[in-house]
Amino acid sequence: MSVLPDKHPLDWRRYVGEGAALGAPLLFFTACFLLPLLYLFVVSFLEPSQVELYEKQLTLANYSRVVNDDFYLMIIGRTLLATTVVLIISLLLAYPAAMVIARFEPKWRIRMLALLLFPLMISNVVRAYGWMSILGRRGIANTILLDLGFIEAPLSLLYSFNAVVLGLLTILLPYMIISIANALAAIDRSYTEAAESLGAGPFRTFWHVTLPLSSPGVASGCLIVFFLSLSAYVTISLLGGPRFKLLVSLVFDTVVTLQWPRAAALSFILLLLALAGGAVILALTRPQRVRGRRA
Amino acid sequence: MIAVRLLLYLAFGLCLALVLGPIAVIIGISFSPIDGFAFPPTGLSLRWYASFLASEKLLGSLLFSFQTALTVAVLSLILGTSAALALARRRGIVAAGIQSLFMAPMVFPTIILGLAILLFVRVIGAPLWLGLIVAHVLIGTPYCFRMVTGSLQAFDPTLEEASQSLGAGPIRTFAYVIMPLIWPGMMAGALFAFIVSFGENNAALFLTSPGYSTMPIELLGYLQFPGNQLIVAAASTLQVGLIVVLIVLMERLVGLGRIVRGDRSV
Repeated sequence: MSVLPDKHPLDWRRYVGEGAALGAPLLFFTACFLLPLLYLFVVSFLEPSQVELYEKQLTLANYSRVVNDDFYLMIIGRTLLATTVVLIISLLLAYPAAMVIARFEPKWRIRMLALLLFPLMISNVVRAYGWMSILGRRGIANTILLDLGFIEAPLSLLYSFNAVVLGLLTILLPYMIISIANALAAIDRSYTEAAESLGAGPFRTFWHVTLPLSSPGVASGCLIVFFLSLSAYVTISLLGGPRFKLLVSLVFDTVVTLQWPRAAALSFILLLLALAGGAVILALTRPQRVRGRRA
Repeated sequence: MIAVRLLLYLAFGLCLALVLGPIAVIIGISFSPIDGFAFPPTGLSLRWYASFLASEKLLGSLLFSFQTALTVAVLSLILGTSAALALARRRGIVAAGIQSLFMAPMVFPTIILGLAILLFVRVIGAPLWLGLIVAHVLIGTPYCFRMVTGSLQAFDPTLEEASQSLGAGPIRTFAYVIMPLIWPGMMAGALFAFIVSFGENNAALFLTSPGYSTMPIELLGYLQFPGNQLIVAAASTLQVGLIVVLIVLMERLVGLGRIVRGDRSV
């Protein structure tokens, strides 16, 4: 890349400059990101206290209480079920949608992706509210169904598994589609043409060539969807209500009731789930198979 | 084959409906003349926009959101740009590690980030609004870092070397050679940081206080009680309008292609 040798005598000021440029963000991220997280981790091993944030006494009780409590285990199971369902539906819907978009001309492909990117910039509160006004007791779905005489009394559609899944799909589908569409658009046409000229039909070409080559996009899409669905508190609380809580709702509830050490422990259990789920996703999609893609 | 293609387009249409439908619904009902939804619609009115403009609390939160997002955009731009300058052409494990540290807040659960910063702020005795800015700068910096890195990798490094071999130091090289070439990326990154801070509502849950509350948090409050919810629809429609304007601005600066790739999903 460089015309000059790396340690050219003229270059010393550049190294000083780069060091200074790196210093400020590195310091900020260490002091305001890593340090608070480390502190939260320590707090998760401390005794709760009525007056202070915590007692200065080490314990494993915050974790063991969660693991031994059927309520918490039920919520964790429900969280994994809901996020897995969201992941599978979004993959099944987003992959075909991405195939449609990837076949557009570049100009229209980019416009379509921008159209999908734009909702991501709108607050989650707004998009959850959209579903509330559709699914609520006096919402659009119930009003229309009542007026047309299909139902006698309003259906209770909100505060359910389905409502939460719909809400999560709304906020997460764009990530999956954009990620897969970019991966599909990056596949060199000559691979699929080679498969077809060797006699493979469209389905075999898809299964043995296109699908494996798109795995980096599938992997990154799945990772984002999984991580964000675990932590999308606002969507989950507005559409799940008090009846349908997930792990992230419990993190919020424990913070509001000032149970700091337990909130900290629940946070790290959530992070652990995210990491474990991420490892499973990477093992299933194996994006590392694909090398030397066009950028 | 036609059946397969039909299925593909069906999934595509379903995706668009799921993603854009709720937003379209909100824009539609924000013009409702009654407190609720009637079918067929009984007319159009701007009464919810009027009540939004009459609500001092909502206008105050809008102003606070705006100030916060502006501060966050400037700080994220400074941090993200200097990180990109130092790392854009570096290879190796250390550089890759530092790079992932700077990108980490994009996928890190923001509610946990908010909790960690809340605890930290309480221990060191800093005000909550400072914690909110810190949290949002952490979330906004990766966008600036990514956009500026993209711009830096797109221009010929010999220009920088030419400037230095002619005797310019790093500051002059940056001001006269690098910055004019990368400023569209810088502006797009800053706009991204602004938008993200403006709509963020997970870290903000813990880091707002009376008088220092952002608009998404205020709107969330309205949604927890029945009645007058359509004021949220009016506020949301205004937010959608603002974001459309900002996207058009970004499109002019760097083009839609860079925006689409600059998102976290890549």
